[in-house]
Amino acid sequence: MPLEGQSDTPALAASDMVIYITAMQLSVNPSDDLPIYRQLMRQIMDAIAGAQLELGEQLPSHRELSERLVIAPLTVKKAYDELEKLGYIVSQRGRGTYVADSLPRRARRVQNEHLSEAAQRLLSQAYLAGLSFTEVVQLLKAADRTLAHDPTRSTPPSKRTA
Amino acid sequence: MTPLLSFRDVKRSYTKSVPVLDGVSFDIGEGEIVGLLGRNGAGKTTIVRLAIGMLFPHAGTVELFGLAPTTHPVEVKRRIGYVGETQELPGMWKASELIALHRKLYAEWDGALERDLIARFALDTGKRIGALSKGQAQQVALLCAVCHKPELLLLDEPAGGLDPVARREFLETTIQLLNREGTSVLFSSHHMSDVERLGGRVLLLNEGRIQVDRDLDALREQVCVATLPSRLASDHARLAELPGCMRVRQLLDQIHAVFEGTPAQVQDQLVQAYGEENRAHMQCRVVPLEELFIELLGGERLEAAA
Repeated sequence: MPLEGQSDTPALAASDMVIYITAMQLSVNPSDDLPIYRQLMRQIMDAIAGAQLELGEQLPSHRELSERLVIAPLTVKKAYDELEKLGYIVSQRGRGTYVADSLPRRARRVQNEHLSEAAQRLLSQAYLAGLSFTEVVQLLKAADRTLAHDPTRSTPPSKRTA
Repeated sequence: MTPLLSFRDVKRSYTKSVPVLDGVSFDIGEGEIVGLLGRNGAGKTTIVRLAIGMLFPHAGTVELFGLAPTTHPVEVKRRIGYVGETQELPGMWKASELIALHRKLYAEWDGALERDLIARFALDTGKRIGALSKGQAQQVALLCAVCHKPELLLLDEPAGGLDPVARREFLETTIQLLNREGTSVLFSSHHMSDVERLGGRVLLLNEGRIQVDRDLDALREQVCVATLPSRLASDHARLAELPGCMRVRQLLDQIHAVFEGTPAQVQDQLVQAYGEENRAHMQCRVVPLEELFIELLGGERLEAAA
């Protein structure tokens, strides 16, 4: 299986591919509040955002993922179909499924809702731990540097962290 | 298209006037995976036994591939596979002898799949079946149920009594078969995590009828549990009459109600019914299948009389 968009990575044997994909750390938990296909969608989106999955990189097949995670093949198909509808991945008939070459901007309203929830959680945890607002901002800046290669970022780091 | 399995208003009882199934109807189409859920005695095994022709319906019709399994046993059995919880395998036979018998019985027997499964299960087929562990005996039963490439696999609590490792191995094999053969499956289970992993559609049996027949993911995302203080909804009937209400039960000083709809929709509906000032007291959330099962079928716990 070729790894597209990974020129700096040495060619991997098929068996290594599996190990590489597990860097994405996919796992399912049947007793989670989210159904399994949603858990998969979220983890794949997180892996794309965190650059464990590169743009244009091939995803495991329905069958491979279904057998590895011990879930129904239709559940994998559903997660992939939904991600494709959202524009995160593309499937090419007979060739496989790949992370899209360019990622969609999520609907701003939906994004803002999620982000404002996450921001509130972050702040309340920080305040509980005795951090000041300035220290939280410093934490965010540090996190931003570790995401330097994040394919989802819209502006290059040099412009934002001036 | 003829469904693979079809139940039409099926009734069956073991004791007169105590129906186990009291008008059950459903179809299973090609490629479907259907989980049969319900409490002990709800009639899951009865449904599977009616489907394989081990029982006659007292009323209604049961058809596989458009044929009644009781009048066309051979045609039907050729196209289905069955694994029960307590499979009656001949204990004195060697596993290899039982497999050989099945190989002879079925023209479509897939020898490659047989060898594959024997290797995968690391089965010692020279052993007598009675000397195998429960998990291994279930693996022999599964092998005998699938190597003729059935169109419909009927699994009645196949992992009942297996330890977690053996249960997971059984699930892994079932999923590999789904991938390779695209078989349709009707399975009953008390293990909600297995049901979530197999996905597909859920039939919930209660009091002789099908209470829920729905896609698992829809059940997980479009059905939610509302909790209200019992002082708010002391009139259960009023709550139960709200649109989409599937169940109301009292748990000490709280009322739990199962509703169709997303948490936001149900919350709005409850606020309309009980007033904006009570919004903060009414919580709606989606829950995992195991909790939903208990919310739908669990008993009440009334407050002790003051």
